[in-house]
Amino acid sequence: MSPLEPTDGLGPWKQFLCRACGLIYDEGEGDPDSGLEPGTRFADIPDDWACPICGVTKTDFEPYQRRAAVAPAAVPAIRQRRPGVVIVGAGLAGWSAAEAIRAEDASLPITLVTACSGDVYHKPELSVALGRGLSPEMLRRESGTEAAARLGLTLMTDTVAIGLSPERRSLRTTRITLHYTHLVLAHGARSALPGNLDPSLCWRVNDLAAWSGMHADLAGAPRNVAVIGAGMVGCELAEDLARAGHAVTLIGAESLPLPEILPEPASRRLLAGLEGLGVTFRGNTLVSTLTRAANGEVALGFADGTAMEAKTVIAATGLATPSRLVRGAGLAFDRGIVVDQATLRTSGPDIYALGDCISIAGQPCRFIEPIGRQAEAIACAILGRDHPGYAHSAPVIRLKTRSAPIELHGRPVAGAAWAITEQTENRLAMEQRHEGQVTAWLAA
Amino acid sequence: MTSALALRPTETSASAPADAGHWSDEAVLAATTAIAEGPLAGAAGAIDHGTYPLDILGQLGAAGALGVHLDRHGARVGLSIAAMQAASRACGATGFLMWCHDVCGLYMEQSGNPALTGTLLADHAAGRSFGGTALSNPMKAFAGIEPILLRAQRVAGGYRVSGMLPWVSHIGPGQYCGAIAGVEADGGIGHEIMFLLRCDRAELRRCPEFSGMEGTSTWGLRLDDYFVGQDDIIADPARPLIGRIRGAFIMLQCGMGLGVAEGSLDSMLAVEETLGHVNQFLDNRPAEIAAELAELRARVMRLAETPYEGATDYLIDVLDARAQTSELALRASQSALLHQGARGYMMSAAPQRRIREAHFVAIVTPAIKHLRWEMARLSREVLPAASAQGAVA
Repeated sequence: MSPLEPTDGLGPWKQFLCRACGLIYDEGEGDPDSGLEPGTRFADIPDDWACPICGVTKTDFEPYQRRAAVAPAAVPAIRQRRPGVVIVGAGLAGWSAAEAIRAEDASLPITLVTACSGDVYHKPELSVALGRGLSPEMLRRESGTEAAARLGLTLMTDTVAIGLSPERRSLRTTRITLHYTHLVLAHGARSALPGNLDPSLCWRVNDLAAWSGMHADLAGAPRNVAVIGAGMVGCELAEDLARAGHAVTLIGAESLPLPEILPEPASRRLLAGLEGLGVTFRGNTLVSTLTRAANGEVALGFADGTAMEAKTVIAATGLATPSRLVRGAGLAFDRGIVVDQATLRTSGPDIYALGDCISIAGQPCRFIEPIGRQAEAIACAILGRDHPGYAHSAPVIRLKTRSAPIELHGRPVAGAAWAITEQTENRLAMEQRHEGQVTAWLAA
Repeated sequence: MTSALALRPTETSASAPADAGHWSDEAVLAATTAIAEGPLAGAAGAIDHGTYPLDILGQLGAAGALGVHLDRHGARVGLSIAAMQAASRACGATGFLMWCHDVCGLYMEQSGNPALTGTLLADHAAGRSFGGTALSNPMKAFAGIEPILLRAQRVAGGYRVSGMLPWVSHIGPGQYCGAIAGVEADGGIGHEIMFLLRCDRAELRRCPEFSGMEGTSTWGLRLDDYFVGQDDIIADPARPLIGRIRGAFIMLQCGMGLGVAEGSLDSMLAVEETLGHVNQFLDNRPAEIAAELAELRARVMRLAETPYEGATDYLIDVLDARAQTSELALRASQSALLHQGARGYMMSAAPQRRIREAHFVAIVTPAIKHLRWEMARLSREVLPAASAQGAVA
C-alpha cells in the first residue's frame, strides 16, 4: 500500500521489477535510502540510480503488473512421481505381502524396510529346530537379497521404521525418509518381557536372529535350561530343548501348563508328555528376579523366596505389538493395529497391516495360516482388483509338542465348561458348547 | 550492554530479580519476536560473519527467552523452543547460542549444587552472564561413537582435568560452560564427572574459519591440570544426570531447525507474487513446507509437555522429531534459495545464509547420522549376547 495518492495526473503509481534480483520499485514508496522521495515516478529517476539490492541500473527494470497469487494447488493428491508400495517388516507377513503384490503386478515399485537381514525362514520351525539339529543356515530358506532380486523389489535391511506422517505419505526410517502411495505394516510383535526381568540375561525367541543367538549360546554340552512361561511357545521350546538333550525346567504361573486355553484334562496330558521327555514343570511360580550368579549361571529368584540357577534362561512371556510408530501417526491401536476385517485397511489413508501386528475386534491374531489370505486381500485392495475380502476366522491351534500333540478348533471361552466326548489312553476329545452349539473342540 | 527492554520505565533496574515475574508465556514470546524482527533481523548478516551478539542475548535473557525452560520458571520447555524458533527465524546462529545458553542453565539447575543454583544461575537465566556447553564429545562418547576427550584424575578436594575439545560455542573470557571428563581408573575410565568449566582458567584457542555462523564465539578449549572443586561439580557421576536431561537437551534444539525452516518459508512467500508463476514448477513448495512445519511443531510441543519422561519410546520420539527438524530445515532452506533464485544467492541474502544454518542444524551434535545411529540402537531388542541382537522392523 503506497502511503500517498498520486496528484500529478499520470494515473496510479506504477511498479517496476528488477530483472536481476526481483526487487519491485514502487513509485508511491520511492527509495528514500537512495534519495528518491515517495512519489518519484520511474521516468524521473536519474540514470545513475542503482537497484538497492543488486546494484543494476534502471535500464534493467521493467514495468511490473501485480499478479494474483498462483492458485494453492500446492499439494497434489497424486504426485507425479510414483513412489510405490512400502512394506515394513521382512517376516512371513512382509514377504507374503510382497509376493501377493508381485503376483498381480510385475512392475509396481516395492520397497521393503526391515530392521533385520530380511532372510526368509519359516517361523514355526523355530519351535522344533533344536530337537532336529537344525542350524541357522538350514533354517534360512533364501537370503533377503535373493528374495528381493527374485521379486524385483528394493530391500532395505538393518533399517528401522521410526516415524510415520500419513497425511504426507512419508515414512521416516533410520536411513532415509521414504514416500509411498501405499504402506503395508508387517512389523510383527515383540516379546513382552516383564520389567523385573533383565533382558540381557534371558533369551526371547521371536525371530531367526534371536533363535540363532540362543542356538550359539546352547552349543556344546547339554546344560540346565530354565524356560519362563508355560504358554504355547514355552511348552514347545521346553519340549524342543529336552529333545536336544538339555535338562529343562519349565516355569508356569499356574498349576498346569497352557491354562489360558486348555481345560485341565488336556493340560494334564500335555504335562505328562513333557515330563515323559524329562522336562521338570514348576507350577504356581512367579519369577521376580534374574541375576548373574558368581559361577556365571543365571540365578532365578521366585516370588515365594525360593531360587534356582540355570546356565541358560529363556523367557516365553508373551508378545505385544509395538505401538509407538502407529500411535505417533494417530492410527487406531487396540492391543494391535486396528484393521478393517475384510480389507485389512488401518484407520490411516492407504495404510494396511497384516500378521502379528494387527488386531481384529480388539484381538491380536498371531498365527501363520491367515497371513497368506491377508496378503492377498491387501494386494488386491492396493491394485484395485476385485476381491471378496479377507474372511477372518479362528485359526486351528496346533501345539507342536510331539510328546502330546494338541489341536484346538473354534473359539474357546476361558472359564466356560468343557465336556469330555472321548477319553482313552491315546486320545482325549473335549468340546465347549454355547446355547447348544459346539463353539470349540479339541483333540489331545 | 544496554538492552532496549531494560530502558523501559518498568524495568529500570536490570539486577532486580522481579523480571521473572513478567515472564508470562505471551510476554516472553511477544518480546522475543520483537527482538527477532527488530535488532536481530538487522544483525543476522553480521552475526553470520563473526559478530558475537551478547547484547541481543542480554535482551533475550531479560525477556525471559533464556530462562523459562528451568524448573524454577515453570519448566516451560515448549515456550523455550518457541522463543528459540522465533529468534532462529531471523538468525540461526542466535538460535544456536540460545540453545547453548539454555542447556548450560539446565545443567546448573539440575546439579542441585547450591554453589551453582544461586546467584550464578539467576544471572544466567536472565541473560546477565553467559555460558555454553561442551557436551558434543561426551554425548557421542556415551552413544559409543567416539572416545571421551577430557580426562580427570582424583586429587585432594576434587579432580584435575586435562585434554582438548576442538570446538565449544558461546564461551569466552569471563564465561563458562558445562563439561564432562572421564575419571581415570585402572588404566581406563571408571566413571565420568560433569562440571562447570570457567573459561578464565582454560586456554581458548582460535578455531579455523567456518563457512557460516561465525558469531557463535566458538573456540578450541584446552585444559591442563585444570582443578575442579566441589563448588563446580554439576554431577558425579555424570551419567544419571545426563540420562535425566537427555530428552530435554535434544528436544530444545528443535527450536533452531523449526526457526530456520520458518525463515525459509518466509523467503519463499516473499517472492511468491513476483515469481510464483515459475516457482510453481519447484518441489517443496511453501504449502508443503508450511504443512510439515505445522505438524512437526505441534508434535514437538506435545513432546515438550513431558521433557523428563524416561521411556525409551519417548526418547525415540524426541530423536525422530529432532532428526525431522534437520531434514525439514535442509529441504526448506534449499527450496527457499531455489524460489528466490539469484536474489537469494547474493551474499547479503538470507536464503544463502539459511542454507548454511540448516546444514549446521543437521551436523551439530546430535547430527542426523548420530540420531539415526541412536534410534537404531534404542530400537534393538536387548538380548543376552551382543552378537545376536534381533529386532522387529
